[in-house]
Amino acid sequence: MNEIMNNQSSTAATLRDNAGVAEVLGRSYSAGFTTEIEMTGLPPGLDEGTVRAISAIKHEPEWMTEWRLEAYRHWLTMPKPDWAKLNIDPIDYQAISYYAAPKVAPKSLAEVDPALLETYEKLGVPLHERAALAGVAVDAVFDSVSVGTTFRKQLAEAGVLFCSMSEAIREYPDIVRKYLGSVVPTGDNFFAALNSAVFSDGSFVFIPRGVRCPMELSTYFRINAQNTGQFERTLIVAEEGAHVSYLEGCTAPKRDENQLHAAVVELVALEKAQIKYSTVQNWYPGDENGVGGIYNFVTKRGDCRGDDSKISWTQVETGSAITWKYPSVVLRGDRSVGEFYSVALTHHFQQADTGTKMIHLGKYTKSKIVSKGISAGRSSNSYRGLVKMEKGAEGARNYTQCDSLLIGKKCGAHTFPYMEVKNPTAIVEHEATTSKISDDQMFYCRARGIPEEDAVSMIVDGFCKQVFRELPMEFAVEAKKLLEVSLEGAVG
Amino acid sequence: MSQPASLPLVASLLDAPLPASGIAWLDASRRENRAAFAAGGLPDARVEAWKYTALRGLGQRSFAGGDAAAATRVVDAAAFALPGVDGPRLVFVNGVFRADLSASDALPDGLSLQPLSQALRGDAEPLRFALSRPALVGHVREAADAFVRINAASAGDGVVLRVAARAQISAPVHLVFVGAAAEAELAWHARNVIELGEGASLSLVEHYVSSGEQAQLATLVSDIELREGARLHHTVLQNAALGANLIRRSGLRLHARAQALLHVLELGGALVRHDLQAELIGDEAQLHTRGAFMPHGRQHVDTQLAIRHQALNTTSTSNWRGVANDRARGVFRGAIVVAPGADGSDASLNNKNLLLSPTAEIDTKPELEIYADEVKAAHGATVGQLDERSLFYLRSRGIPLTEARALLTAAFCRAVLDDLPNKALREHLSGLLIAQLPA
Repeated sequence: MNEIMNNQSSTAATLRDNAGVAEVLGRSYSAGFTTEIEMTGLPPGLDEGTVRAISAIKHEPEWMTEWRLEAYRHWLTMPKPDWAKLNIDPIDYQAISYYAAPKVAPKSLAEVDPALLETYEKLGVPLHERAALAGVAVDAVFDSVSVGTTFRKQLAEAGVLFCSMSEAIREYPDIVRKYLGSVVPTGDNFFAALNSAVFSDGSFVFIPRGVRCPMELSTYFRINAQNTGQFERTLIVAEEGAHVSYLEGCTAPKRDENQLHAAVVELVALEKAQIKYSTVQNWYPGDENGVGGIYNFVTKRGDCRGDDSKISWTQVETGSAITWKYPSVVLRGDRSVGEFYSVALTHHFQQADTGTKMIHLGKYTKSKIVSKGISAGRSSNSYRGLVKMEKGAEGARNYTQCDSLLIGKKCGAHTFPYMEVKNPTAIVEHEATTSKISDDQMFYCRARGIPEEDAVSMIVDGFCKQVFRELPMEFAVEAKKLLEVSLEGAVG
Repeated sequence: MSQPASLPLVASLLDAPLPASGIAWLDASRRENRAAFAAGGLPDARVEAWKYTALRGLGQRSFAGGDAAAATRVVDAAAFALPGVDGPRLVFVNGVFRADLSASDALPDGLSLQPLSQALRGDAEPLRFALSRPALVGHVREAADAFVRINAASAGDGVVLRVAARAQISAPVHLVFVGAAAEAELAWHARNVIELGEGASLSLVEHYVSSGEQAQLATLVSDIELREGARLHHTVLQNAALGANLIRRSGLRLHARAQALLHVLELGGALVRHDLQAELIGDEAQLHTRGAFMPHGRQHVDTQLAIRHQALNTTSTSNWRGVANDRARGVFRGAIVVAPGADGSDASLNNKNLLLSPTAEIDTKPELEIYADEVKAAHGATVGQLDERSLFYLRSRGIPLTEARALLTAAFCRAVLDDLPNKALREHLSGLLIAQLPA
């Protein structure tokens, strides 16, 4: 701790000294508690037996088991990706338990273990009555299983299907079979293959033709048990003309060892459909010495299958020891629109390699990328993006803006945009800047009596405004608070 | 990596005898580099630095090593005459120095200029550091450097140029590399070592031409060192024939307060690759790069620019334009690295591209890697077509569409020549640029 404080005080040399700041040094992770409830699970290890066991526990049909096994066999042949700008300690896939669940499976929300509900209470998830107030339907995933979905009745009246993935596989096998793996195939990449083999639960959303989802849908993920990995799988299908806004939040308790999180999210938008997907990711980032934290290796992809469809990703990434995540949009339908708004903050020893891919296939497709990276401490924060204009992308348009903000002398901020253009009528524009909070800005704030910490937080907030504007209101407030907490001790 | 020895290109390059120098350290270094090339083979698309430049086609070809008749090949001196470039000149034909075509007798004071083959016959010791340095300097993955290795093994000639401290050389030095048609398809190599002493200044023109359309493979590796306060104006004109495969690597090191201004024009060649790795290792060093690549037909032109800011208050600006037509492909990577502690760095890079045909392709990748916080770094890249409003403006004034297009495209490319100090050369180069544009 002393060493850390010394480092931080040396970074302060460029800014003005402030005795008060020393008090708030050290970061607090308020979601870092564990919940004592009886857990059942599989012992650590991974082989075909594990895959079959997971499938059996979930009473899955034969085709699903086969689907998983095929993914597992493919995974065995795949090399681990090493192209990202990340230092990852080797992961022992045999030391992870691939399934953990509360011992007594809840039958309804009323039966959910009160200790569990308390956990969500602490996290501020509006699961119960609070959900009604907030007007948000929540599917909460605790370690590997979904513990309850609120507002099911109201949603069912509108024709919206919102349930856990395991339920969906049992109850709506035709829809699941039609769309699962159609955006992210089982062999897409190393972590997607692993997820396809062992995914335990996740959310399933189906908005039928012409329906505008009456409320915002939300999932809260939490990793609780030790030595477990969380492999959730989310599938959202919006039929012709349907609209949905979906929110996702994540936390995990403080532990010294690294935990693996390898999720897959698939979005399908048919003609004129719109999907808005927002994430606030606050997995445990490890302590200030870089010990522990979640490895967050996520594959998220949306497919604008129909003409005039739209998929929008918004993410606020403040947690995880390592983030490897590229929410993408395949713009297949003519005039379809893809958007990506991102704030990624890294502090201490966190590493993030995140960005997006916009693959333009259809005519007059449009994409917009706004990425804001903030690095502090000794962290490393990279934007990696691909904009691809295929031959058929007549009149397609992309605009990308990537800004990085550096706080401190020992962190790194990097930008790796790839642009591949095969159509002469397409337009691609990319702009990036890197800078630190300027002395002028700080001086201006300080001269008006604003303490250093508040000034930094104001400036960072302004820097991120463009992205926060895209978040639903409750999330925007949470995101802002998260940034403040995460940046504590970054200056001074 | 594919099986290195099984590729005809690798086998044919390894087949050529190593040049014998009789200098123990040099011969040892050549053998080592050849062994490293044999072991590493050619980079494939999985090697990030070669992601957009596939060597599958080139790898299947064989090239004869060296040209025994290079000394007597007829080359028309008019092929490489440039207006405004009338200083000392060294000419190499198929990698071999040609005294009869060169002009290096009356050198100005402070300039030393001779072919590598001659320099090695004299006191080779000053070249030892540059020539025996391992080709790989850290951050690039091994196979990426295949051509640097085969060059280190096989290059028997090249340029050794030194400017004494404080010498101001006013007449531009002209380095000419000619690929001449021979009995067989040839591979040749050249190695250049250039150094400007403290406070020295020089203007240099590096020039690639061909006589004949025959397929060739050439590798050229240059080390350019600018000591404290040195100034270099460096212009590269690559106007080789469409059969030429040219692979170049330039390493540029700038010491304190050194300044380099570089203009690059890539016009010819079949597969052209240029790696420019610049290191700003002294405080207040400045590097300004400008370039245009204009592939047409089936040309493939790949420029890889990597600028490392390693000292205080260093500046770099880069402005590159690409125009791809027909079935051609233009590739650009512009990486800026600001090392830890390089405070006060000011780096900007911009790459604008025009795609003129539905079968052409542009791949561009500007990169920033920043490890210091007191910096200003920005980059921008665009790919698109001519501005509709500008076209409309010209047409509304009676200029036909095709002419308006040609005018705007020419202006788009010429922007990179604006700050070329040699006026006669600038006019000549912009003429070449315009001639290259589709009518």
